[in-house]
Amino acid sequence: MSALAAPFIGDHYRVTAPATVSHPVPGPETFESIVDDYQRRLYGFALRMTGNREDAEEIVQDAFVRAYRALAKMDPQQRAELRLQPWLYTITLNVTRNRLRSKRPTNVALDALADPDALLNETQEGPDQPEHIVDRAADMVLVEQALLQLPMHLRAAATLRFIEGRSHPEIAEILNQPIGTVKSHVHRAVRILRRILGPQVGRIVPSDRPSAAEEEE
Amino acid sequence: MRCCDVERLWDEMREGVEPQREHVLAHLRGCPECQEIYRENEGIAYCLTCLPLVDPPQSLVPKILDHIKATVKIAAPDSITRVESPIGRLYVAFRHTGITAVAVDRGEDEELVLAKLQRRLGRGLIPSQAPQWVTDTVTAFFRTHHSDLDKVDISELTPFEQSALRAAATIPPGEVRSYGWIAEKLGQPTAARAVGRAMARNPVALLYPCHRVVDATGALHQYAYGVEVKARILALEGYQSKGATPQAARPPR
Repeated sequence: MSALAAPFIGDHYRVTAPATVSHPVPGPETFESIVDDYQRRLYGFALRMTGNREDAEEIVQDAFVRAYRALAKMDPQQRAELRLQPWLYTITLNVTRNRLRSKRPTNVALDALADPDALLNETQEGPDQPEHIVDRAADMVLVEQALLQLPMHLRAAATLRFIEGRSHPEIAEILNQPIGTVKSHVHRAVRILRRILGPQVGRIVPSDRPSAAEEEE
Repeated sequence: MRCCDVERLWDEMREGVEPQREHVLAHLRGCPECQEIYRENEGIAYCLTCLPLVDPPQSLVPKILDHIKATVKIAAPDSITRVESPIGRLYVAFRHTGITAVAVDRGEDEELVLAKLQRRLGRGLIPSQAPQWVTDTVTAFFRTHHSDLDKVDISELTPFEQSALRAAATIPPGEVRSYGWIAEKLGQPTAARAVGRAMARNPVALLYPCHRVVDATGALHQYAYGVEVKARILALEGYQSKGATPQAARPPR
């Protein structure tokens, strides 16, 4: 059984957003530290959005260049008022969108996993294989693939919500959409994922967790 | 509470604070279908959080920084300083290649002036002390009404703007010429309007003397810092516009 904590409704499992990194005032002079602080996060986001390491790397590069240019043009007040993190996500998302649009059909290269070698050993794996030897990495490929099947806007909402752990208001800011729209996109994304992943979910998630109702009783 | 509401509220409940929480939980206790949906949703959310966090290659940060240096060399900020002059305080932006902007202080909020300049230049401005060569270039202008154009950098302007400003710089102090005159000089006699725009967008007021360019009737027309300022600068240079009918005074060629 997985060592990871089992999730369920209630106090045991909450969306935890990584703390926002704060800078005095963003600007070209402090840009290097901004790159240091955000490259990992934006890379992870771009990788989930594209499923491709090379794309993710180029997207992050491009996004930072754009951010730098924009910052250089801002006056001090605009800089002081800038909410850096959502702004950087927005730029990254825009670059991702442009890139994917110009690169159809989407190249769903599944090289986003931590250890691609682990996958090579899984090639014979099929639905009728005994559960105990199904490798977790292969399951993660399924999840990853499912995410990539979502339409762009739903994928963005789901990624920001569940992988990046952002709050609804922050996602609304990043996507420049009303909160209600964000919630409904997240909701629709989960619905579709539920349909795609279906029974596999049960295998990935530890099964000994109590249901919501049981927990309350 | 209906099933569809319960499903909709699932994600919000994950945040912990949800006034309808009790209602949702009450519904869940009595509705196995919703329980199932909730369990599946949690499963999906859990699967997504389990996706491995892949670190970017070590080379990414240096690559990004190099990329920025290579593609946005021009966006490195200029320095900006204040210089007192016979027509009041001036804002002077510069970098090692020369003065890139001169703006006349008209009592506007300093931040506003800087914001406008930054927008015009397309890069940031960092307040700093005026080096000697900057002050010298500006004061020399008021003494001689000529400027050392080697100390002025207009290389970031469009080719047309650059040549229009160079043409304006050939107008002797104390005289004026029309927009059309510059257009002709550029070999584009119909481009008087474009010349007007180039003059209006001249970031280096005074040093490139767009104030010596007037309209076809000899009226001072417009100036980024107000027609009165234009008149004052021209007066300092010895230009005499006679009364209300300047076209009679000295028709521009």
